[in-house]
Amino acid sequence: MAGIKALVALSFSGAIGLTFLLLGCALEQYGVYWPLFVLIFYVLSPIPYFIAKRISDDTDSASNACRELAYFFTTGIVVSAFGLPIILARAYLIKWGACGLVMAGNAVIFLTILGFFVVFGGGDDFSWEQW
Amino acid sequence: MSGFLDSIRCGDCECSAVDWGERRNTMASIAAGVLFFTGWWIIIDAAVKYPQQESFNHAYHACGVIATVAFLMINAVSNGQVRGDSYSEGCMGQTGARVWLFIGFMLAFGSLIASMWILFGGFVVPQKPVVYPGIAVFFQNAFIFFGGLVFKFGRTEDLWQ
Repeated sequence: MAGIKALVALSFSGAIGLTFLLLGCALEQYGVYWPLFVLIFYVLSPIPYFIAKRISDDTDSASNACRELAYFFTTGIVVSAFGLPIILARAYLIKWGACGLVMAGNAVIFLTILGFFVVFGGGDDFSWEQW
Repeated sequence: MSGFLDSIRCGDCECSAVDWGERRNTMASIAAGVLFFTGWWIIIDAAVKYPQQESFNHAYHACGVIATVAFLMINAVSNGQVRGDSYSEGCMGQTGARVWLFIGFMLAFGSLIASMWILFGGFVVPQKPVVYPGIAVFFQNAFIFFGGLVFKFGRTEDLWQ
């Protein structure tokens, strides 16, 4: 167990990331809430990794291929979370300033999720009974 | 002066638990994911900017769809099945795997060539006022093609034994 400090630091960075996202929606000069759709990508991003981990419990040939497929899809979800604000801005649904804030929020949130996996998920004693 | 870059080290990574071979597969998967999905977001962008049939003929989407099908076909069989040295034959055997891979690569090359044809035959030669949709189709298919190649050949199957 990596400790409380890591947990507090990760929750702080998560809050900062969500703050950037909400600033991109709620500031007076922006005012539209379309960017909140990237929340779907935030929620989806850890799922491929957990599915791959669940399907293959030990390191054998099939599990490596499954893990790599999970990395492929996770990367796709991350790319989509960055692509959506750009397309919204190019379609003039949101302003470019909002797009920039949303992308900053994306970067912080995905680094937070990665931090969770690095700090908490890497242990061999990871078991499903925790959930 | 000639050796001043010798002392610069590219960041000694201390994750000694993971060897280079295993990271190669991970890096290749991530790179392939970036390429593939960037390709699709490029075409989504073009479709959002030019929704009319006159500026972006909707039939051109078929090229990217075929490229995606080719990507799936190419990566559905492992190199071991094609060489015949994997212990499980799969449902079609070695010859079936070779035929499947052959068709997959033909579709991949075909969609890449078709995207170039669309760009030049559909946009450049008729001198359409907006060329961006043609460029988007080309880049979509190029990215999907190279993403498929990276996913197929960038990973080593030695780690799968």
